[in-house]
Amino acid sequence: MTFLQFEHVTRRFENGQEGLSDVSLAIDQGTMTFLTGHSGAGKSTLLKLLIGLESPTSGRVIVDGCDLKQLSAKQMPWYRRQIGIVLQDHNLLPDRTVFENVALPLRLSPMSAKDMRRRVRGALATVDLSDKGGLLPRHLSTGEQQRVGIARAVVTRPRIILADEPTGNLDPFLSRQVMALFHQFRDLGSTVLVASHDIDLIKDQGCRILHLSQGALVQDTARVDGGDVE
Amino acid sequence: MTAPDRKVAASTVSLAAKPKGGAVLAWLADHRRVASDTATFVSQRILRSFLVWLMVGIALTLPGLLWIAQSNLQAFGGQWQGSAGLTVYMNVGARDSQVRDLALKLQEHSAVQRFVLTTPEEALDQLLTQSDDSQFLRGALAAIETNPLPASFSVVLEVDTSYLQLDALSRQLLALPGVDDVEIQSAWIERLRDLGDLANRVGGGLSVILLVAAVLVTFASVRLAIESKLAELRVLALVGATASQMRRPFLYFGASYGIGGGIMAILLIALFLNQIEAPLKSLLISYQVGVSLAGFTPSFLLAVVLAGWFLGIFGALLALSQRLGDLGNQTS
Repeated sequence: MTFLQFEHVTRRFENGQEGLSDVSLAIDQGTMTFLTGHSGAGKSTLLKLLIGLESPTSGRVIVDGCDLKQLSAKQMPWYRRQIGIVLQDHNLLPDRTVFENVALPLRLSPMSAKDMRRRVRGALATVDLSDKGGLLPRHLSTGEQQRVGIARAVVTRPRIILADEPTGNLDPFLSRQVMALFHQFRDLGSTVLVASHDIDLIKDQGCRILHLSQGALVQDTARVDGGDVE
Repeated sequence: MTAPDRKVAASTVSLAAKPKGGAVLAWLADHRRVASDTATFVSQRILRSFLVWLMVGIALTLPGLLWIAQSNLQAFGGQWQGSAGLTVYMNVGARDSQVRDLALKLQEHSAVQRFVLTTPEEALDQLLTQSDDSQFLRGALAAIETNPLPASFSVVLEVDTSYLQLDALSRQLLALPGVDDVEIQSAWIERLRDLGDLANRVGGGLSVILLVAAVLVTFASVRLAIESKLAELRVLALVGATASQMRRPFLYFGASYGIGGGIMAILLIALFLNQIEAPLKSLLISYQVGVSLAGFTPSFLLAVVLAGWFLGIFGALLALSQRLGDLGNQTS
């Protein structure tokens, strides 16, 4: 069942450059897909369009049958609560403990303190950081910080997980651990889209790969014709 | 690593639907949390917060003092309204019939509210009573054998009597037989009122400037708070905080600065009144006016705090409109 869909999406910036050029794609629910390409290929633009941080210049971005352009500014936050976002630089708050960082998205929703603690502990256990909840991010290694970012992204049990270069700062071992986590969330029903330029890592994952170049979708491994996109 | 302990939200949930249950409880819980965070934020920066309270307090003090001054002047004016009027002095040795005629004339005049006749004997008694050395005075008066004091009328006029009517009446009375002099008592009150009006206008202008300054102080402080929390705001925007959830902490900051400033203003006003009360009372007693300072009432205190709260919120809203508008479109 198609869950994420781009219909002839073009995103042109104010300087005239195109972040995305006439991209069409469809991603099924509960799948894990990789987005590859060099810097400036359009990976981040595509993710921003999905998050609703940018709007397409033309075309439609459709999530679960809903054109994101139809969402009002007031509806957008409620949509974003269904997305777990993992960024390369983690965006952890340095003056908050690991526990507080992970609990941040839960503070936006009606939830008892007991439930919140249970959910945060669960998320921290998932990323193997149960014993680090009381520490500040600066006391963690880069890999641990990235896992805190993942715990924060999944603590709300999102339907979509979007990750932008989540292994950019990690060694190969930790990178594989992070990928294993994404597989687990995919198995539980989340639709996972990971942007990465680490071809060696993602070609071993057995997932669909979308290759972007200069804003255009040039290769899709899910295509029966071998993947090249005209 | 352990397996995730969760299930993905049901796909039947509409893409951007608000959760239906517990909205009020969540709203209350968010307010409680934000209030607690604000208390922590302010207490962690207590010196800076104190300076903001002091600046807002100083800005609120002048309008507060003006209000108190105005309400006291009204009370003061009210007292003088009763005693404002005329004093009519008869000639020494004026005949009783002349005094009676004048009393009748005053009784019939529509502008006269009441009057009191002081006979020469009563005037002499009052003089002797008020004199520090009445024995000496009594001796001196005995030497001249006759009472040198005239009969007089203290005339209190109706409240709405204008100065022109007062002047006309004084001329009429002065023309009557046996009347030596008529003193108008309200001329200096008129001048005092004029000065009061001028002070009110100047003070009103200054108050507006100071209230704008209070808003700007809150604006700058909340702006700094926003800058210090930009990283958190960006994360909150990414994870789906609504505009009101992002604004709320800063409205609380603005309110806390405003309310703190209001309390500071009350302390400053109290200190000021405490300093001037004794000399002011002494001055008023010398004018035989028994006015105690009015206006520093619970409702006044509440009004000052509410004014501070309003200015704080207003300043915060200005800062938010300038800085938070585009946060929803930023990632990092």
